[in-house]
Amino acid sequence: MERDDRSFRVALVADGYVNPPPGGVDGIAAAAETGWGVLQLPAEDYPAGVAQRLLAEVAEQAEEFWRHGYDLVLVGQRDGLSEALAQVGLAVPAGIVPPGPAELVDFLSSRPNPAAAFPAGPESSPGPDVTADRR
Amino acid sequence: MGVAFVAHCLLNQNSKVGDGAHCAGIYAPVIDVLREKGWRIEQMPCPELAFTGLNRFWAVREQLDTAAYRRHCARLATAVADAIAVRVEQGEDVVLIGVQGSPSMGVTITSSDPERGGRPEWPDGSPELVSGEGIFIESLRQELASRGTGFPRVAGETHAIPGHDEAVQRADLEAVLDAPRPEGGRT
Repeated sequence: MERDDRSFRVALVADGYVNPPPGGVDGIAAAAETGWGVLQLPAEDYPAGVAQRLLAEVAEQAEEFWRHGYDLVLVGQRDGLSEALAQVGLAVPAGIVPPGPAELVDFLSSRPNPAAAFPAGPESSPGPDVTADRR
Repeated sequence: MGVAFVAHCLLNQNSKVGDGAHCAGIYAPVIDVLREKGWRIEQMPCPELAFTGLNRFWAVREQLDTAAYRRHCARLATAVADAIAVRVEQGEDVVLIGVQGSPSMGVTITSSDPERGGRPEWPDGSPELVSGEGIFIESLRQELASRGTGFPRVAGETHAIPGHDEAVQRADLEAVLDAPRPEGGRT
């Protein structure tokens, strides 16, 4: 497979950081700044059954990224997430409940290079420049 | 404004087929427009990611159009339609933002080639783009129709379309976002 512009980094992000309230922490801006993709968690106002079905799909997709060595983190929290991840054999990844945007950017920037970015070992590639281009 | 249900890859280019990611993660040309205009963003699952995986080949509709893939899409469509139904019930305006040319997420343009299969030998630039919807979008339309819910207005990211022009993509997206809501104020 040819290498494209992907970052091999996927953040499971609570809805309140994807659609932040006024003055809230903007998870999209932080992800864009640091080159992370976002896997959005269901909004808190969904009925339990709706959220559960959406979380099951989130977990299945997270599993595929994990199997291939992409880095996974959690931004915020979501009831039912740990159970959904457990259904596919995943633990809740390292995470942050960011008090502010700077802490979120620091957290995302400080993660080690994902294994998927180095298919033949750390010397094989410098990895993607995740801060160079948002698009 | 309202709620934009967006294709998974618009928030996460890591889900793209190999060699298909246009950026590290967030596809800003679409997401920025939605946010500037005050639309709430809700991400749909990527139908291909969990089914054919990260190492999948580029494919046209016919290659994905199996009974198993349609069952998979129907399951995802049920989950997404549940979410859309909640927003419609809340009185929100809803739009759907897909990926033009995608065999799964195309909203008015998909890809088709009945002859494609076997050892990959087809040349780049094969004329596989055709009018129509991807398989997941088709499933979602059927699911919403079965519930008596109207189908939302649609727009799409257009990187796969020859002559892709970001300004045109933005103008088309804005036209959909700014269009009047359907009669009665419901999707």
